[in-house]
Amino acid sequence: MDFSSPSPGMSPGMGGGQSPEALMEQVQAQLAQAYAEELIETLRGKCFDKCITKPGSSLSSGESSCISRCVDRYMEATGIISRSLFTQKR
Amino acid sequence: MDPSAANNPELLRFLNEEQQRVMMNEAVAKLTSVCWDKCVTSAPGSKFSPSEYSCLTHCAKRYADMSMVIIRSTQSKK
Repeated sequence: MDFSSPSPGMSPGMGGGQSPEALMEQVQAQLAQAYAEELIETLRGKCFDKCITKPGSSLSSGESSCISRCVDRYMEATGIISRSLFTQKR
Repeated sequence: MDPSAANNPELLRFLNEEQQRVMMNEAVAKLTSVCWDKCVTSAPGSKFSPSEYSCLTHCAKRYADMSMVIIRSTQSKK
């Protein structure tokens, strides 16, 4: 993540009239947004891969439920990985 | 109050913390992607199978172990 390049809605010099608190909130909101977009893009890739083996003329109910399970499992996997990275077992 | 980070230690600390958080999130995201591909080989079910779960719980640590091996072996081959 590069703090030096401008992102939409945030231009250099924007700190000008803004309190530090408002600036911090803005930074957090933008980071959260970027994280959400990246997650959704990842989910698209993974779930298309696993659930839509042969694109038909519409999404079947099987494909829809697979996608829903895929999102749940991927979020669960994120938690598993996160815990295994950041917990020390004695 | 001067909002520019250079003169504001609280803002500097905040930016540092956010940067750490972002780096950690990116590490988790990357490993989750890799481990998902490695461990979830069939269509996702309503819960992970025991072998999928076991694979996922081990994956991150084994990836880190591998990383150490790679670094050590590239250092010893000059």
